[in-house]
Amino acid sequence: MSTATAPRPVRQRRLATGRPRPASRRTAMLPTVALLLGALYCLVPVAWVLVASTKSSSELFSTFTFVPGTGLLENLGDLFAYGDGQYLRWVWNSVIFAGVGAVACTLVSTMAGYALAKYDFPGRKAAFYAILGGVLLPGITLAVPQYLLMSTIGLAGTYWSVLLPCLISPFGIFLARVYAGSAVPTDTMEAARIDGANDARVFTSVALPMMVPGMVTVFLLQFVSIWNNFLLPFIMLSDERMYPLTVGLYTLLSKGSGTPSLYSLAIIGAAVAIVPLVAMMLVLQRYWRLDLISGGLKG
Amino acid sequence: MATALDTRPARRTRRRWVAPWLFLLPAALLFVTFLAIPVCYALYLSFRGMRVSGGGPFGVRSETWVGLDNYATAFTDPEFLAGFGRLAIYGIIAVPLTLGLALTFALLLDLPRVAGARFSRTAIFVPYAVPGVVATLLWGFLYLPSTSPGSWVAARLGIGAPDVLHGAMLYPSVANIAIWSGVGFNMIILYTSLRGIPAEVYEAARLDGANEWDIAYRVKIPLVGPALVLTGLFALIGTLQVYGEPTTLRPMTSAISQTWVPLMTIYRDAFTRDDLSLAAAASVALALGTLVVSVVLLRVTQKRSFGEVS
Amino acid sequence: MRHPVRTAASVAAVALTLAACSSGGDDAGAGATDEGPITLDYWAWGTAQQPMVDAWNAAHPDVQVKRTDAGGGTDSSAKLVTATRAENAPDVAIVEYNTLPAMIVAGVATDISEHVDGLDSEFAPGVWNQVTFDGATYGVPQDAGPQALTYNKKRFDELGIEVPTTWEEFADAAEKVHEADPDAYLTTYAPAEFGGFAGYAQQAGSEWWSVDGDAWTVDFDDEASVAVADYWEDLVDRDLVLAEPLLTPEWNAQLNKGDILSWPAGLWAAGVLYGVAEESAGDWAMAPLPQWTEGDSSVGFQGGSAVVVTTSAEHPEAAAEFARWMGTSDEAAAAQIEQGQYPASLSGQELTLESDPPLLMPEQEDYWEIAARITQDTIPEISWGPDVNVASSAFQDAMSKAVTNGTPFRDALTRTEDEVVADMEKSGFDVTQK
Repeated sequence: MSTATAPRPVRQRRLATGRPRPASRRTAMLPTVALLLGALYCLVPVAWVLVASTKSSSELFSTFTFVPGTGLLENLGDLFAYGDGQYLRWVWNSVIFAGVGAVACTLVSTMAGYALAKYDFPGRKAAFYAILGGVLLPGITLAVPQYLLMSTIGLAGTYWSVLLPCLISPFGIFLARVYAGSAVPTDTMEAARIDGANDARVFTSVALPMMVPGMVTVFLLQFVSIWNNFLLPFIMLSDERMYPLTVGLYTLLSKGSGTPSLYSLAIIGAAVAIVPLVAMMLVLQRYWRLDLISGGLKG
Repeated sequence: MATALDTRPARRTRRRWVAPWLFLLPAALLFVTFLAIPVCYALYLSFRGMRVSGGGPFGVRSETWVGLDNYATAFTDPEFLAGFGRLAIYGIIAVPLTLGLALTFALLLDLPRVAGARFSRTAIFVPYAVPGVVATLLWGFLYLPSTSPGSWVAARLGIGAPDVLHGAMLYPSVANIAIWSGVGFNMIILYTSLRGIPAEVYEAARLDGANEWDIAYRVKIPLVGPALVLTGLFALIGTLQVYGEPTTLRPMTSAISQTWVPLMTIYRDAFTRDDLSLAAAASVALALGTLVVSVVLLRVTQKRSFGEVS
Repeated sequence: MRHPVRTAASVAAVALTLAACSSGGDDAGAGATDEGPITLDYWAWGTAQQPMVDAWNAAHPDVQVKRTDAGGGTDSSAKLVTATRAENAPDVAIVEYNTLPAMIVAGVATDISEHVDGLDSEFAPGVWNQVTFDGATYGVPQDAGPQALTYNKKRFDELGIEVPTTWEEFADAAEKVHEADPDAYLTTYAPAEFGGFAGYAQQAGSEWWSVDGDAWTVDFDDEASVAVADYWEDLVDRDLVLAEPLLTPEWNAQLNKGDILSWPAGLWAAGVLYGVAEESAGDWAMAPLPQWTEGDSSVGFQGGSAVVVTTSAEHPEAAAEFARWMGTSDEAAAAQIEQGQYPASLSGQELTLESDPPLLMPEQEDYWEIAARITQDTIPEISWGPDVNVASSAFQDAMSKAVTNGTPFRDALTRTEDEVVADMEKSGFDVTQK
């Protein structure tokens, strides 16, 4: 940071977006190196798990950390054979939880955010503060009461018990409200109303298309948060076949007394689990509207 | 923001009253069912307790009203309180470093003439896609002497490698996992926020003879202030909820107890010790603490982050 | 929130709809009728279970069992308690002996005395005692874990170490091993191994919980336990044994390298070690646990489990019959032996004598004979208290702290006792601290 002391031409920086700079210019060395160090720090553990997944269990402890081993195919075979293909079930469960949960949550949040942003109605303030409180509430402390509630209505141990609590995301509603506020012009809504559209129609044919970028962001945030969720499924589920990946991998690590932990399986399992999600993140990165979280908040 | 919330005088007052509530209905139902009711239930439960009712050495226990017993137990449990102390040490390491690194990287990315910025940005963001349990697994192996690259090199050089899973090194080791997972996401938020600043602001500063350092310090950082407050708030809430990382690391070191952080104590009480009421009381206390911390933080920063309803 | 009535009604409606939709398989047992076959839900962990369940299902078309792996001992028992409270517990479950009292108090395990009349003769008294409380039987023993010394015979021979028969010899051997090979340790003192320590202390004559009528006496820091704590503290202080958690990648690596030479633990240790050090199979052997007093032969238990019928069971009689079969049938015992478990029943133990030694020590011909002899010498009177879960978690934390901070191990026992007594008093038990 301290390097950028050389005076630079005033017009160096193009408009707000700062597009890729002409290659002919001299590279700023220190910022570049600092960022590459950051990148290295973030990639090393991922590189490790990819390398480690190629090692047989004896190579894991005997060869240098970053030397690939010879056991990749065998590890993969073990992984997919474990518990009659349980690993694939975990992947599938995670996809279902995160996919269905995130889609539904996005719809719920969009509708709520839209209502809060574009309507004035009794109870709006109360609803908004309730949601704000929900954002600040540590969701994790709710896990125990949620379990008891699920038990009371007979859902503990079912897919629903993990899926339903994921559908409500105060933060998602909050983002949707911010986005609806800035992306859906009230005039356009009024125009549609004058043309005879009712509220439902205004929402589906005017507001919804305008809110798509914001919805993608809410979807991705919620997808990742459900995918990474550990405590809720850990508490709610008791059948290994219904576990999502995070809980499944955890159980490989802590099998309890009298059963050795399956470290090599956990490593290959982690490697296989990371690859698609990282790929998805990279592909979808361009659709993120994270300025929603920051830019939209300037009061 | 205020403009976005403009609402025209409603012509069809009644309809505009019903429609928003219909839009809000699914969210409201879910909110009440999965947030409001559990909160109330936790509150109720925190005043209850399991007590032996029948006679005999193996009398079965049943639930009764115990008043503030659970709160008293929670707040006189030295281990629960010590957990907050450990949490504080962990938080003092993790929160500033996560935010500091995220801000530094965001500012660096925003500088002109940085090579490979796209690659670095993407790489730093990658850990966000790695679940906490998996992140802990990866770092755990990098910490363990038999698989750590550091120990391998140290052994070849004939020197001892530091034991990062015991003693004072434990805190930075656990915090590092959170930092690793959190930097990328926060960096992207701050970076997008930086890119949202109109170029004219910089042009003006540059015309005044400001260098990039001045611009970063005097212009950019104040302008991303609201985003910083928000990321800071989330980092803080995240810290109070630390659970997964130390729990997953626990089998690898005896230095992490079952009560290492408050949430681990809550989990232990609820599930290992079957004392849901005590866990509920501790949860209520933790949730209230989080709310207080959040509100204070927002007050201090003058509510710049969450827009008020007009 | 402005419309509490409407909201409450909607919540109820949602709940009902969801309940109707939930086709999750957690309550399969509820669907049984008089005409159709009964289905029992069974929670059990470990590799031996599925083959046993398959054998049962093949032989009993009318009572089909569906097994679920709900995690290892600690996770599984925690989930049993919460599931019981939520009224969706399975019909039958595996419970470790030392958590059985807690399961009774929590209302998980049900009294099956009437269904298992005369079963006591199938088990050694020490084993049967583990499932009988206050005259009532709460489970059928399935596997037994008398403590023994599993050791790396090849490394013992290389370093010229005799198999120790007393703990004093064991300490000498630890010294000798570390002298001969500074990287090697005779064994590991894992601070989190509550069950292991409990076994050593029982062998020394401790009695942590005792009950007289309705009155409990708790004494974790009795003379015998303190002596055991001091013994291990001395070895750890002199760096003669490792003080690390077991079965970490680190530990496994050292074991494979031959740097950890023995493990005094339940008989199931052979199966566990084979899982992590398959390549060193054949190097190992098993011997009786060293004794505190020369010439003694008593040992304690570590681990082992029983099949219990839960209070949620809809068909307790069928469930008890299944439990009985799992504990005493030859088919079940054979499946256990194959997976390295030691059956709890006398007939099962007899069956082992015709079996091959475990995979870890294929050349030790007398393995099962020694095992049978050890089992006969297990201490018959061991009583676990109603809050072993509290004791275990308190012990693990206190002992880990003692090891990490270098404070006296015996203080960890006192700390554990304080927590156990406080918990029992809070729950309303009549308890005296000694």
